[in-house]
Amino acid sequence: MTQFLQQMVNGVVLGAMYGLIALGYTMVYGIIQLINFAHGEIFMVGAFAGLFTYARLPPSLQANPLVALPLVMLTAVVVSVGTSLMTERLAYRPLRRASRLAPLITAIGISIALQEAVRLFYPLPNGQLGAKSPVSFPRLVSGANLELGPVTVARVSLFVVVVAVGLMLALQAFVRTTRTGKAMRATAQDPDTARLMGIDTDRIIVVTFAIGAALAAVAGVMQGMRFVQVDFRIGFIAGLKAFTAAVLGGIGNITGAVLGGFVLGIVEVMATQYVPRGSQWKDVWAFVVLIAVLVFRPSGLLGERVAARA
Amino acid sequence: MQPSRFWRYPALVVVVAMLLAACGRDAEEGPTGGGDNDGEPLKTVKIGVVAPLSGGLSALGAGIKNSVDLAIRQANEENKVKGWKIELAAEDDTAKAEVGAQVATKLASDSAVAGVVGTLNSSVALQVQPILARENIVMVSPANTGVELTQGTDPNNKKRQFDNYFRVSTTDDVQGPFAANFATQDLNAKNVVTIHDKKTYGQGLVAAFTGQLTKNGGKVVAAETINPGDQDFAAVLTKIKPLNPDLIYYGGEYPEAQLLTSQAKAQGIKAPLMGGDGIYDKTYIETAKEAAEGDYCTSVGAPTEDLDSAAEFVDSYQAAGFKEDFAAYGAYAYDAANVIINAMAKVLPDAQAITPDLRKKIVDEVEKTSFDGATGKVAFDEFGDTTTKVLTVYKVTNQEWKAAKTDEFK
Amino acid sequence: MISIVAQQVRRRVAPVRVPLGAAGALLIVVGSLTPWATFFFGYPGKVTLAGFPGGARLYPLLLAPAAVLVVVDLAGRRRGGLTAALGAVAVVGWNVLAIAKDGGGFGAVAYGGWLALAGAGALALALHSLPADRPVAESFGRLPAPVELLALAGSLGLLLVVVVVGLDIEESSRFVSFAAFVGFASAALQRLGGFAWLQSVMERHHRVTIAAAALTALAFPFTQQGSSYWLRVFASIGVFAAAAIGLNVVVGLAGLLDLGYVAFFGVGVYVGALMGSAGRTTYQGEWPFILVIIIGAAVAAVFGVVIGAPTLRLRGDYLAIVTLGFGEIFRIAANNLDWLTRGPNGIAGVPDLALGNFSFGDTHEVLGFSLPAFANYYFLELLVLAGAIVVFTRLNDSRIGRAWVAIREDETAAAAMGINTWRMKLLAFAIGAFLAGAAGTVNAHVAASVSPDSFTFLESILLLAAVVLGGMGTVAGALLGSAALFILPEKLRAFQDIRLLMFGLALVLMMRFRPEGIVPSRRRQRELHDEDGGAGAMSAPPAAPVAGRGAS
Repeated sequence: MTQFLQQMVNGVVLGAMYGLIALGYTMVYGIIQLINFAHGEIFMVGAFAGLFTYARLPPSLQANPLVALPLVMLTAVVVSVGTSLMTERLAYRPLRRASRLAPLITAIGISIALQEAVRLFYPLPNGQLGAKSPVSFPRLVSGANLELGPVTVARVSLFVVVVAVGLMLALQAFVRTTRTGKAMRATAQDPDTARLMGIDTDRIIVVTFAIGAALAAVAGVMQGMRFVQVDFRIGFIAGLKAFTAAVLGGIGNITGAVLGGFVLGIVEVMATQYVPRGSQWKDVWAFVVLIAVLVFRPSGLLGERVAARA
Repeated sequence: MQPSRFWRYPALVVVVAMLLAACGRDAEEGPTGGGDNDGEPLKTVKIGVVAPLSGGLSALGAGIKNSVDLAIRQANEENKVKGWKIELAAEDDTAKAEVGAQVATKLASDSAVAGVVGTLNSSVALQVQPILARENIVMVSPANTGVELTQGTDPNNKKRQFDNYFRVSTTDDVQGPFAANFATQDLNAKNVVTIHDKKTYGQGLVAAFTGQLTKNGGKVVAAETINPGDQDFAAVLTKIKPLNPDLIYYGGEYPEAQLLTSQAKAQGIKAPLMGGDGIYDKTYIETAKEAAEGDYCTSVGAPTEDLDSAAEFVDSYQAAGFKEDFAAYGAYAYDAANVIINAMAKVLPDAQAITPDLRKKIVDEVEKTSFDGATGKVAFDEFGDTTTKVLTVYKVTNQEWKAAKTDEFK
Repeated sequence: MISIVAQQVRRRVAPVRVPLGAAGALLIVVGSLTPWATFFFGYPGKVTLAGFPGGARLYPLLLAPAAVLVVVDLAGRRRGGLTAALGAVAVVGWNVLAIAKDGGGFGAVAYGGWLALAGAGALALALHSLPADRPVAESFGRLPAPVELLALAGSLGLLLVVVVVGLDIEESSRFVSFAAFVGFASAALQRLGGFAWLQSVMERHHRVTIAAAALTALAFPFTQQGSSYWLRVFASIGVFAAAAIGLNVVVGLAGLLDLGYVAFFGVGVYVGALMGSAGRTTYQGEWPFILVIIIGAAVAAVFGVVIGAPTLRLRGDYLAIVTLGFGEIFRIAANNLDWLTRGPNGIAGVPDLALGNFSFGDTHEVLGFSLPAFANYYFLELLVLAGAIVVFTRLNDSRIGRAWVAIREDETAAAAMGINTWRMKLLAFAIGAFLAGAAGTVNAHVAASVSPDSFTFLESILLLAAVVLGGMGTVAGALLGSAALFILPEKLRAFQDIRLLMFGLALVLMMRFRPEGIVPSRRRQRELHDEDGGAGAMSAPPAAPVAGRGAS
């Protein structure tokens, strides 16, 4: 029983991360029907950007998480949002009316280019260029593990879940109550009518990309904090699983993305525990779930929110 | 202004003239030849290197390449191979078997290549061996540990696979059991959890370890696997925690091992982690920090501090000013290169060109190798394996790998 | 704003363009025959010597004849000539920069380089100031048959020479010059209508073209002087190209996004390796190779149907992700199912094929030439490639092909017309998988090994890139794309580190500016560029595939 509960905790933490990244995918897809392959790399870039700042802080500040953490997060968000907006403006916007294949391949190209850019040019603290092997990341939230009854929870894991859930709720509120949020929903539902209603759809798309990127950046920093290292490859598989989570919950559906994230995290962890030799197939479960969902319930668990594309 | 059609013909003449101008006399340029050999130009012979120079294992690959480069530079300075200048032909196999095959073909088609140091990964070596064997190019590996590379897949019927393949590193079936003996005798470990990364090296190591451990009366309570590139081991660790192992034996390399050990300790698993030479890297300690304290690993040869030849290598390497560290296999690569250089020194001096016959002679000379290198005594048995069966167990003490026990494996 | 400046420049230069063009050409000639580097530091091509155009200096010289376009009136001369002149600027400029970088500063660049650069610039200006082009004619007058056939033979021979020369170039920087030269020269020729004329000649003498192309391909091994290396590369390219053509059926014809295509190829490779009685496998058996190919292709096709059946109903983007998932599942399964695939070690030492007494692993003497072992595999791969090409072109011209085009353009309308869309899509998937499986089976012997590492997502992207960048919907496009993706990394070894970065950027740029690929089918180009505004579709000269029939 203890193991089950502990694995549930592991699954929830994992799911929180997937959910944060999935939000970016789901919002962008809902609004312009583009699978932003590069989103996983935005996550990775955020992590590295945060690390860059941390490495250049004086040691006194480094030791003070109350100062270091916000600074790191802020830099990560700024860089990720900047990168994402740049890709939107330069690569995706000109292709808005093109076939489905072109933006997809562009996104893949950007994903590869970003990975390589970090691998080749990230300035390491020792002066060399290029993050060719994993780079150390600070823990930032340290302290003893929390023992909640039979389960052990690392402090940083708790931090991850709290921040993730908090951000997801904030996003929900934002979309539901603010004008911009409503505009986002309108654009997702029917871009042409939204434009007729006076909504600047271009600007809304930019906002969508920005929010998605910011969430991914936070997730990236937290990933670094959990594993005390970052690697230029973390974006790819995380991105894939997060997109699966988004589809699982219903693409375009924000609550769905969150739910999908948690479901996926728990499934993955439980499979490792209870399926014989399950750890070998860890990455496969995500795809199995995806295929099953798409075959039996293509609109996802909570239903999708996508405008029908002509 | 419309030019008349008249211009067509002179234009044609001009075009032809320009094309004719493209043919011209040939000439020599630059200083003639190179090197000083009583006035005669030196002939060039190449030593190839096949190792991962990019990707996750590039630190190890760079160490290998630089060490071979060091050996070549020293040989050229001392004019070890009379009448010949040695060049380095380093190729990147990106740790992938297919790429290894391609670069091996490239080296095999180069008539100036007389020997190759490589590979790092056993899976790549499987592809490279037959390609180099076709051209009789001697291949000396500084790091392959897969047993089948020299002895075949049937342990009851050992058969040498390729006459031109040798290695200076020891095999899994020496390193694994050595670790198992240490675990049983020195650590009193009865219940052990094994984890490997599904690659040839890790899997082989764990298999050999498990065999010996069971013989010694120990028990493997769980055999898990992870994927290279993984970062999150929470699920696997939660699974093994209630089994209360005395030791976690890991077959694989340091990028995963360092995370595994820190997460294990964070989850409250008290057992130390033990691995092979794949985790013997200071990055392991730098990343895992306190979690690494008390972890073990095995490595071939006596500790470098104990050997004079090793100290010399370390000094020359640092003096040469390479960007990267010589890492886990630098010393082996240095010895491997010298194996080839020594053989060339005996065979090449009177030769005019590298012929297949000459390459065969180099292989024969390598068979007879016997000298003291940076890793100890270098000599080969009938399978091409190193005769040195001295290994050392290292323990992380005060954030450094310190030698805990050196012994010969019988 | 740029166009206003350009107009002004054009007006100013127009009156003096003939002497300007002549001066430019003259400067290029002089520059090519004089030193480009002031001292010897190992820069390739003997560029410190005068009197002959050594190294990359040959290329601007060969482009200089474009100067005649200033006075000779050919259709498309302004665009074509300008392209050639810009090519000269590019080549000279690149070399000047490279010499400066390697030689430690612009002092290393000798007067020849500057002269050539100035000349190329002047020539470009002169050509730029020509009046606007007449559109290139779509149909050309006929020359007497022997002349046309000679032109055909000549161009194929030229292609062979270009390939052999290019492959011989060792140094990366000189290869860049060469590639730039070939690229600009081809583009210039195309804009002058050269390729369109060639294509009409080829269409008139269909069979001769095919025979000649086949002969050229067959002649290649004889030029290799016994070296296996490039034959091995070409055998690999051929296999890759066959798979790319299969993907072309799925993506190019039927419009289905498949991001896990490499899995089908992988199935073929494993079947080939397992049944090829390799020493280190889990399954031992001796099977005649013909049977093995069929089985490999069939198994892959079965996988295609199994994967396609539940998922082809999905929206295109979802299909892409699901196929990606299957690609990854395949790789992980190959890695984990030790009892079948030997896990991460893979299967090595797949023996050479043997048909009776003829072993593929030996060198053979033909017509006095010694053909290295890989020549045999090269010929085999040519056969498989030819098969794939035949399948593709037959399908393209058939009812099935047209059904696919209909589905691709508007699925609802196609269904309304009575096409069973699901079945057609499944057929495309299965055929694509079949071709990939066949190619894979051959690859088991060409590469002599298989391991799960070869079947990553990046490999699927490379296959997709070969098709998309080379040109969707054409055979020549897939061939060109495959060749480029294999040869460029080999030749540009100096840039190896940034290779992937360049690849990613190339994908982005190509999709932005030329989404139909380098050698597109005409229909595609019109599809994709109609969006640029009506004039765009009218003024661009139609693209023409170089060899083979793919335009529709």
